[in-house]
Amino acid sequence: MATATEQWVLVEMVQALYEAPAYHLILEGILILWIIRLLFSKTYKLQERSDLTVKEREELIEEWQPEPLVPPISKDHPALNYNIVSGPPSHNIVVNGKECINFASFNFLGLLDNPRIKAAALASLKKYGVGACGPRGFYGTFDVHLDLEDRLAKFMKTEEAILYSYGFATIASAIPAYSKRGDIVFVDKAACFAIQKGLQASRSDIKLFKHNDMADLERLLKEQEIEDQKNPRKARVTRRFIVVEGLYMNTGAICPLPELVKLKYKYKARIFLEESLSFGVLGEHGRGVTEHYGINIDDIDLISANMENSLASVGGFCCGRSFVIDHQRLSGQGYCFSASLPPLLAAAAIEALNIMEENPGIFALLKEKCEQIHKALQGISGLKVVGESFSPAFHLQLENSTGSREDDVKLLQEIVNQCMNRSVALTQARYLEREEKWLPPPSIRVVVTVEQTEEELEEAAATIKEVAQAILL
Amino acid sequence: MNVGVAHSEVNPNTRVMNSRGMWLTYALGVGLLHIVLLSIPFFSVPVAWTLTNIIHNLGMYVFLHAVKGTPFETPDQGKARLLTHWEQLDYGVQFTSSRKFFTISPIILVASGVLNSSKRPSTMHQLVLEQRRMKNTKDTRYFLASFYTKYDPTHFILNTASLLSVLIPKMPQLHGVRIFGINKY
Repeated sequence: MATATEQWVLVEMVQALYEAPAYHLILEGILILWIIRLLFSKTYKLQERSDLTVKEREELIEEWQPEPLVPPISKDHPALNYNIVSGPPSHNIVVNGKECINFASFNFLGLLDNPRIKAAALASLKKYGVGACGPRGFYGTFDVHLDLEDRLAKFMKTEEAILYSYGFATIASAIPAYSKRGDIVFVDKAACFAIQKGLQASRSDIKLFKHNDMADLERLLKEQEIEDQKNPRKARVTRRFIVVEGLYMNTGAICPLPELVKLKYKYKARIFLEESLSFGVLGEHGRGVTEHYGINIDDIDLISANMENSLASVGGFCCGRSFVIDHQRLSGQGYCFSASLPPLLAAAAIEALNIMEENPGIFALLKEKCEQIHKALQGISGLKVVGESFSPAFHLQLENSTGSREDDVKLLQEIVNQCMNRSVALTQARYLEREEKWLPPPSIRVVVTVEQTEEELEEAAATIKEVAQAILL
Repeated sequence: MNVGVAHSEVNPNTRVMNSRGMWLTYALGVGLLHIVLLSIPFFSVPVAWTLTNIIHNLGMYVFLHAVKGTPFETPDQGKARLLTHWEQLDYGVQFTSSRKFFTISPIILVASGVLNSSKRPSTMHQLVLEQRRMKNTKDTRYFLASFYTKYDPTHFILNTASLLSVLIPKMPQLHGVRIFGINKY
């Protein structure tokens, strides 16, 4: 009975198939064919590399010449002939056995040798040991880190701060955390190498404007605005940033922050301010370029600084609104994937902040000394002073270049060596010449600290003048 | 990439459809949707089938072909920001097993829907009963005609349209294509 029913049902099904309308059958036929074609398709990548024939491959292999792993360099390359410092690089520095006055280390506030800081670091060393042995996410967060972040945020009058364990990595991690592919960054041509590496890592569109030239920046911003009006949907998903430094390391100039804030609100871009050289230097209380100009700190979206200059510690920090800084806790590559700052250095930085808060008079003192040596070094034959008068790190460049960079460097090195013989420790500004986007001309970088007395400053200026006169004329 | 394992996948969206149990979950989900729709007393069987198709294809279109980017931050600085999930699958390699599965499954769903939308009796048993009834009335021509009611073309058109809307974006020729600039940024 069951078999008969099944057979009969099958007949009915076949009958139903015959009686179905044509479009049904056609559709189902197409679908079955499509399924079969899909099941038998091979996987393939969409963009195939152009295939080379075997002969072409052999040819290419034959003509390839390997470059040497270590390129040939001359014996007097500066990286091979470095000066050896014995003892701390404080005010009196012992270079190659000779005692000199230090005009090269970025020890602006003289906190490197400070006994209070040393005591705080030693106490921390006894309590925590030497290293942190872990990133911030994996048992690398100590109370000193949270303390230091808190203190920095309070000092800079922002909502939150985040610590990095390496000064170079601070801005190089902060920029790619916010700016991604398809975003636009307007950056000064003379930005320091760390900013350049951060921009490279961000994969964004970089638009360089002439150094400190607000007209050029406005031109670029206007061009971008015209592009945006042509394609408003794209503009809605594009983020725009302006990256500037407070005091530029490569030129000693200060950025015109009030105009930048005006441009920010006019063209709707965010400002990232790199304050490595101006933190602890500019402003009434050392809060940097925003205090110097009297600008509300909330107008600046992100302030990044390294603690290796004024604070005489290691590492760096970013500060700003909580909404901005919190993002870096998961996206800042240098924060998540590097070991955290050794606690003793964090304790040293906290003590340095204490000292800065207790005597705010040192900033005015530093400013006086800068202006003094700036004035004293004017009018050297053959060298010109490049940098603001209140910038503690400025450059001495050759007035008339010899024509080749190598010769300029050699000349300046002669001056530096002679000054070293006369107990003035100077250095040339060094760059990775092939990697820099805008290579500054060779220069001697002079650094002023609060520990240098007025007599020492006058003496150093006189020494440099004599040496320059002897060598350049 | 499977759930609950540590992986170093740059963009997990590319591997999620290959994860263990994903296909089964998807099939069960579609089955659940269909059973829920069948349970609603107002819908007849063809309506339930067509609704399953439409809802499934709509969901598939929105999640695979409309929404762009990733819900998480990727270490490649936003390479997939403007790509839909379908374009991100397997890093753009065409005709992988996941892609084949997700192309075939709406076809099978729609094929079943079309087969069932003709107002024919939904089970073989019902078919047999109706046959017997018809045989008793001795009017087989009427029986055959009653197979195809006037709702059939509507269902057919709806099913086919939603199937096309979900099959055409999956073709490799349409990888990265944004017609009329819709959904480009």
